[in-house]
Amino acid sequence: MNSQVRDKTFWQKIMIVVALVVLVVNGVYPLVWIFLTSIKNELELTQVPITYFPQTPNFGNYAQVFQAQPFARFFLNSLVISSLSTVLCVTVAAFAAYALARLRLRYRRIISIIIVAASMFPIVSLIVPLFQIMRGLGWLNTYWSLIIPYATFSLPISTLVLTAFFQGIPEDLESAAMIDGCSRFGALWRVIVPLAAPGVVTAAILAFVNSWNEFLLALTFNSAPDMKTVPVGVMLYQGEFSFPWPLISAAIIITIIPIMVLILIFQRRIISGLTAGGVKG
Amino acid sequence: MRQPELSTAPRSQTRGATFLARFVSGNLRDSELAILLLAPSVVLLVGIMLYPMLNVFLMSLRVQNTLEPSMVTTGFENFSRLLADKRFLDAFTRTIWFGFLTVTGSFLIGLPLALLANLETGWRWLVRVALLLPWAMPQIITGTMFAWMFNSQYGVFNDILVRLGFERIYWLIRPDSATVAFVLTVIWKTSSFVALILLGGLQSIPLELSEAAQVDGATSTQVFWRITLPLLRPAIAVALIFRTLSALQVFDIPYAFMSAGASQSLETLGVYVQKQTVEFTDFGYGSTVSLGLFALSLVITVIYLRFIRPEES
Repeated sequence: MNSQVRDKTFWQKIMIVVALVVLVVNGVYPLVWIFLTSIKNELELTQVPITYFPQTPNFGNYAQVFQAQPFARFFLNSLVISSLSTVLCVTVAAFAAYALARLRLRYRRIISIIIVAASMFPIVSLIVPLFQIMRGLGWLNTYWSLIIPYATFSLPISTLVLTAFFQGIPEDLESAAMIDGCSRFGALWRVIVPLAAPGVVTAAILAFVNSWNEFLLALTFNSAPDMKTVPVGVMLYQGEFSFPWPLISAAIIITIIPIMVLILIFQRRIISGLTAGGVKG
Repeated sequence: MRQPELSTAPRSQTRGATFLARFVSGNLRDSELAILLLAPSVVLLVGIMLYPMLNVFLMSLRVQNTLEPSMVTTGFENFSRLLADKRFLDAFTRTIWFGFLTVTGSFLIGLPLALLANLETGWRWLVRVALLLPWAMPQIITGTMFAWMFNSQYGVFNDILVRLGFERIYWLIRPDSATVAFVLTVIWKTSSFVALILLGGLQSIPLELSEAAQVDGATSTQVFWRITLPLLRPAIAVALIFRTLSALQVFDIPYAFMSAGASQSLETLGVYVQKQTVEFTDFGYGSTVSLGLFALSLVITVIYLRFIRPEES
């Protein structure tokens, strides 16, 4: 339901504008504040009363981020892990979603419940057994210790999104392709795959964001200095008693850049993916 | 749902052919195809979630002597220790209380946000970005950011308070104000998530319904309470269960706050599990504590399925 703004009275419009401004400011202000902090000098931070805009903007902190810790390596680690887990997740989810959306199965309901129930397991409880599994497989401090779990954690939401998407593609298209001589797989490849691309992009973005942001497993499984991911890396700048906030803020900004880019480009897709989860339940 | 017709491939390749022949020609039976397609998901879910969970059950029977950590026996002592563990009971009640506050708060803020975001304005992309940002930010970073803003001496919030003429608040240091700071931070982050789910629900409500009601003389308020809200029930239910379960497990934000110097009064169940298993390396007891968390999640899920979602067809 989309109410038309132009039908409202003048005062209602003013209230709406104010409310919208509050909404936007609310979403954005922490990031703005962190950015401002990141270009200040350490000295300036300890002034009372605090300053809002830096007296002399100093972007040196950003260079320092890479010098104080192997942040470029962290970034690479996160990039590889998030990308590969996303690819794995979306592929597996697409298979499952196709089965759930298209094939008439008696146990379809149970499968859906299992998939949703899996997202209800407290992940923090799984740390120890997963740690032992990873140690047994020799995957600790490698990329795989995170790729496989991350793919699994995003599996429920990706399957949900893709199932909703596949259900929206008319069956007749496949039937037509098969009447024209395609096999089952052929119909899948030539008809479904091109049409499902938007849904796949949406599911991929959701999986990527979840993987990029994950902290607990990354902290526990990949503790070797050169295998850490970016969220873990950000916490390293804190000393025993010192908190170099400009440095930490710069690291935070760098961490968020890929996500910001994704949001700005794909906001429509992300929202449609998240809201599809709400509608289909 | 109309079953797509079988391919017109020659009979020899379908009826009576072996599995391998059918696979190669791309003409598996539906049930076989289903198993093939669903297998990877099942493998992953069982391997990463189900099997480890069973392990947790087994490991909670592994009792480690607190004075002599190398002595390990099997038994139920971990459970009796759990029920007597004050730190656990504190974390337990604290987690439930925090959960209640943050879930309620995120809905109180999320619903108006969703309604606002649903309006048609020229600035929709800005609204969308503002709604997505809190959701997309890593939790650990959200925690760190807000810990900085709540800093007693150099934080923004205290600065604004002082400029408005109020007293400084020692946010993170005192338990009660630390709770407020924590709850506000979680609400900031999660009201976007709730808003997004509710937005989906709102967008699926046909415009004609509210228009028809208004033609019949209903006011906006009546339209909201009598039409919008009831139709939003499925979306509210979904947002509720996801929000509640993640509120029970919350780890990153309290961890960030506590790393920045907050009092231990913020220790939630998730944090306590991590401390016991990773920092104290008492795997047996850590598993027992996490069973406490799992039991809580289970109860909440059962309540949800029984009372809030009984209309599952």
